[in-house]
Amino acid sequence: MKKLLLASTMLAAMTATAFADGHEVKVGVILGFTGPIESLTPGMGDGAELAFKEASDSGKLLDGKVIVPVRADSTCIDAAAATAAAERLVTAEGVAAIMGADCSGVTTAIANNVGVPNGVVMISPSATSPALTTIEDNGFFFRTAPSDARQGEVLADVVMERGVNNVAITYTNNDYGKGLSESFSNAFKAKGGSVTMTAAHEDGKADYSAEVGALAASGADDLVVFGYVDQGGLGIVQTSLDTGAFDRFIFADGMIGQSIVDNVGDGLVGSFGTAPGGESDGAKMFAELAKGKVTGDGTGPFDGHSYDAGALIVLAMQAAGSADRAAIQSKIMEVANAPGEKILPGEIAKGLEILAGGGDIDYVGATAVEFNEVGEVFGSYRELEVMEGEFKTMKVR
Amino acid sequence: MDYLIDVINALVLFSNFVLVPGLAYGSQLALGALGVTLVFGILRFANFAHGDTMAFGTMVTILLTWWLQSVGVGLGFLPTALIALPVGIAATALLVVFTDKAVYRYYRARKAVPVVFVMVSVGVMFMTNGVVRFIIGPDDRRFSDGERFLVKARTFKEVTGLSEGLAIRTTQGLTVVIAIALVVALFWFLQKTKTGKAMRAYSDNEDLALLSGINPDRIVLVTWVIAAALATIAGVLYGLDKSFKPFTYFQLLLPIFAAAIVGGIGQPVGAIVGGYVVAFSEVTITYAYKKFLIYLLPESLEPDGLMQLLSTDYKLAVSFLILVAVLLVRPTGIFSGRLL
Amino acid sequence: MSALTANPRLRATAAFAVMAALLVLVGFAQSWSLALAIINLCLISAIMALGVNIQWGYAGLFNVGIMGFAALGGVAALLVSMPAVPEAWAAGGVNLAFSALALIATIVAIIACMRLMRRGPGRTLAIVVLVVGGFFFIRVFYDPAVTAIEAVDSAKTGYLGGLGLPIVLSWFVGGLFAAGAAWLVGKVALGLRSDYLAIATLGISEIIITMLKNEDWLTRGVKNVTGLPRPVPYEINLQSSDRFIGWVEWLYSGRLADLGDSERAAALQQLVIENSSLFVKLCYAGLFTIVLLVVLMLSVLALNSPWGRMMRAIRDNEVSAGAMGKNVTKRHLQIFVLGSAVVGIAGAMLTTLDGQFTPGTYNPLRFTFLVWVMVIVGGSGNNLGAVIGGFLIWFMWVEAEPVGTWLMGVLTAGMAEDNRLRAHLIDSAQHMRLFVMGLLLLIVLRFSPGGLLPEVVRRQS
Repeated sequence: MKKLLLASTMLAAMTATAFADGHEVKVGVILGFTGPIESLTPGMGDGAELAFKEASDSGKLLDGKVIVPVRADSTCIDAAAATAAAERLVTAEGVAAIMGADCSGVTTAIANNVGVPNGVVMISPSATSPALTTIEDNGFFFRTAPSDARQGEVLADVVMERGVNNVAITYTNNDYGKGLSESFSNAFKAKGGSVTMTAAHEDGKADYSAEVGALAASGADDLVVFGYVDQGGLGIVQTSLDTGAFDRFIFADGMIGQSIVDNVGDGLVGSFGTAPGGESDGAKMFAELAKGKVTGDGTGPFDGHSYDAGALIVLAMQAAGSADRAAIQSKIMEVANAPGEKILPGEIAKGLEILAGGGDIDYVGATAVEFNEVGEVFGSYRELEVMEGEFKTMKVR
Repeated sequence: MDYLIDVINALVLFSNFVLVPGLAYGSQLALGALGVTLVFGILRFANFAHGDTMAFGTMVTILLTWWLQSVGVGLGFLPTALIALPVGIAATALLVVFTDKAVYRYYRARKAVPVVFVMVSVGVMFMTNGVVRFIIGPDDRRFSDGERFLVKARTFKEVTGLSEGLAIRTTQGLTVVIAIALVVALFWFLQKTKTGKAMRAYSDNEDLALLSGINPDRIVLVTWVIAAALATIAGVLYGLDKSFKPFTYFQLLLPIFAAAIVGGIGQPVGAIVGGYVVAFSEVTITYAYKKFLIYLLPESLEPDGLMQLLSTDYKLAVSFLILVAVLLVRPTGIFSGRLL
Repeated sequence: MSALTANPRLRATAAFAVMAALLVLVGFAQSWSLALAIINLCLISAIMALGVNIQWGYAGLFNVGIMGFAALGGVAALLVSMPAVPEAWAAGGVNLAFSALALIATIVAIIACMRLMRRGPGRTLAIVVLVVGGFFFIRVFYDPAVTAIEAVDSAKTGYLGGLGLPIVLSWFVGGLFAAGAAWLVGKVALGLRSDYLAIATLGISEIIITMLKNEDWLTRGVKNVTGLPRPVPYEINLQSSDRFIGWVEWLYSGRLADLGDSERAAALQQLVIENSSLFVKLCYAGLFTIVLLVVLMLSVLALNSPWGRMMRAIRDNEVSAGAMGKNVTKRHLQIFVLGSAVVGIAGAMLTTLDGQFTPGTYNPLRFTFLVWVMVIVGGSGNNLGAVIGGFLIWFMWVEAEPVGTWLMGVLTAGMAEDNRLRAHLIDSAQHMRLFVMGLLLLIVLRFSPGGLLPEVVRRQS
């Protein structure tokens, strides 16, 4: 027994990655499958696994390696349970990299307590807190969702340019909503706009008429909603329209999704917002790809980000020529950023091939990924408006 | 005349944002609290599993509603879920009666202290919670159909010429009507029928009731069935009005308890009053009265601030503050509790 | 078997041996790092369960507000350890001090009113007027203070910060915070029916969390405070410390000797990474074990003292204890405060281990009901029982996920890959955690109400 143990520890120490039968590479997928965002995570997990499957099925990944995703539950809120789950992925399952986590709080905990200490790359698809920009990550933490600080500014520009200078804000009471709300209202006020009221809403609560009532009474014409499409944000929009409190809404990325247009209907026409993304058709291609394969057909707010996070991991693996943890880390920036052949959703096989041939790629993906020096997307935003039953891209900025 | 219109506008504004939503939400809470209070009155414990019982009943109803919708059965302008509701109630009744036989009966026979019952109900809560998520998943589900509005805000404005609109959703109307009908039926049942009288006697004095030949098993059975019906109806109405999500239903437990205790636990009248008290205090204390006062006050007195007593962040806390205040001043609730 | 049931000491030994075996199994089958991570949280859970056991096991108080007390401990960790933000103090300090004075003045006025006036509608009216008036009076100072503080570099600080002291101190402070809150809560809610106490504490804990979430000037609210200073070294620093590397080299010299140079360097690096993580966890485990042993020792001494006997007498029959001249409500308050303080200590330790304070973390399923399951399953009224309950339940809570997923995999192995039922079952595996916890609770309550290690009833000869 002892000898066996020694041998296995050695093996793990030597390769840093447990290869079950030589052609499998494990990658962790840690998301809040239970807890407050449990309705968003199935689509996110599927999105990442779609990218893994694409790479595995192509047979081109590291000469025919197969990615085996290992899911773990971050619970979204319980840092202790999330850390334990991540610890399991990293030390017991021996994953090569982690796609996750989701909520900013647990993501910080996992990065500080597990990811960075063990030298494992983490790519979060949905942690947007500005605080994550400054964590001491040794270059091991990336995120495909942009920091709230930037989006707030962009959205303030959009709102101003449309001639709206009097708004009320409601945000989901977590670090995403609060951070975005602060950055938006600071930028908006600096540009001369006025915010009549800022009110938080809790997700998953009984009733939002009190919030809407108060917001309506503030006298603003338009309501800025920083929330989630299938959570309190939806409740707020629905209640506002029903009571005639607001006719037009301004959304950030969490509220952009086909489901809200389908659920709310005509009332949304004319509402607008921003979401990260570029000129490319990445988002559309991902939507095609995800149809029938991802829970909710890939319309969730972070499904595309998750696919991109997964794709970046496999591409970096290919570029490094090994599934070694440190090697993956060293290549993420390279595959994500220009120069190189642009890679869109569904083209992972092509990317793998180019990399195998020693070429260079620039992964664009569903959300126009481009990392800045601290490993965060800082790229472009799409300005969207609801017309004819869907969000239409008006402009890219 | 202008001032009169201002007053009417103020009242419409108040109705639209406080009165109508408060009434609907209050009715939903009242139905939930009635179930809690009934179980408390007869079985003498605070049932922590009530929120998840509501979720279970709603889940069954939703599954059937979806099937009905897929085969094209509907109720015109009313939501299809009303057809499925009886089945939901039946399934929930089966679940709670089974739970009673499998779990609670044992402790009743041993005359366990209330705290043990509460603890057991926590276990049941966990399990029901798991079952619901297992079957329908954790997602947000919508199942309302039919006509959405009784009165539309825009139409109201056009018809009356007022600058404020008033909206009443079908589900809000439905909620209030069904709640009233149920409460009337329940009171009639408790006051006039033999079983109802027996239940009240049992709740009042268990030993005396047993001596006078009341069959306790039957009382318990009827109580559970009624509680299941109330829970399912409350849950379905709530889900129709907003949407169904298991997590939300678990959280509903808190305001429901607050409603039951504020009104006086064990008192059906109290549960109803408590439901409205909790709902209206949540809405009125966090409402911003700025616009309302602008209509009513002369221009010189118009407020600059939002005129909000507490920020909406504290909405949930309001019901508990009331709860604590009531416990301090009048621990048995508005209507002294423990009687049916 | 009969020896096991008859002899409590043997039973306890067996229970702890099984627990140790389970953890060792994790070490071998999964990894030692994971085993240690689980142990650290087990230790914290055990302390939390001890606190609850003091209230429930000694006095029969059903406190469903554990979450709130644990969160207060967490705040203490933040307020003690983080550096102060002088700009924020400068911006809002004066107004905040005034609002504190206003609060004190209001409370004094209310107390005076209650003492001086006679009971009746007049007094009630006066109190209501004072409460409402005081509320607005406080807000005159409070609102500008909050606005000013929260405006100070809101993305990074926007709060007052803490004292910048070593975080270990916060474990005591957390206990004090929780004790203070418990005293207030106890004054309000004790003396009510047992299940009223439950609902009242449930509500109050929600109020505490709501305040922590929304009073950004104090806690940064939902923006979270991350990067709390640690009481132990950081892995990254260890990994670059020559002393630590040398130590690892020495420890594994036998294994490293046979390798070539380049392989050796790679293997050493990996070993240093693994061992730094293990070392940090061991440091935490050491600290937590000390706290657990101290709390456990004090609990055992208290339970066996005359005070403990009086408590159990009150629990078993309040009426007769009251008739014997024992002040039941006062004793209850005492024990409620003590138990909550222990929960507060554990809460501060948990925040320390996480390295961050995130108010959104606190939810009643995890922080209240799970702790209750620990106490009931472990053995209410038995301190060692609470400890083993904390260990076992946390272990199950963490391991339920991989085991559940594996079990679903086995169960559905016969189904086709694209079978929708199979996909549904596998996706739902995570939700079985709650189901299993509920089932476990019910089974223990029914078939072994004393728990794994039931209370030891001593008969006086």
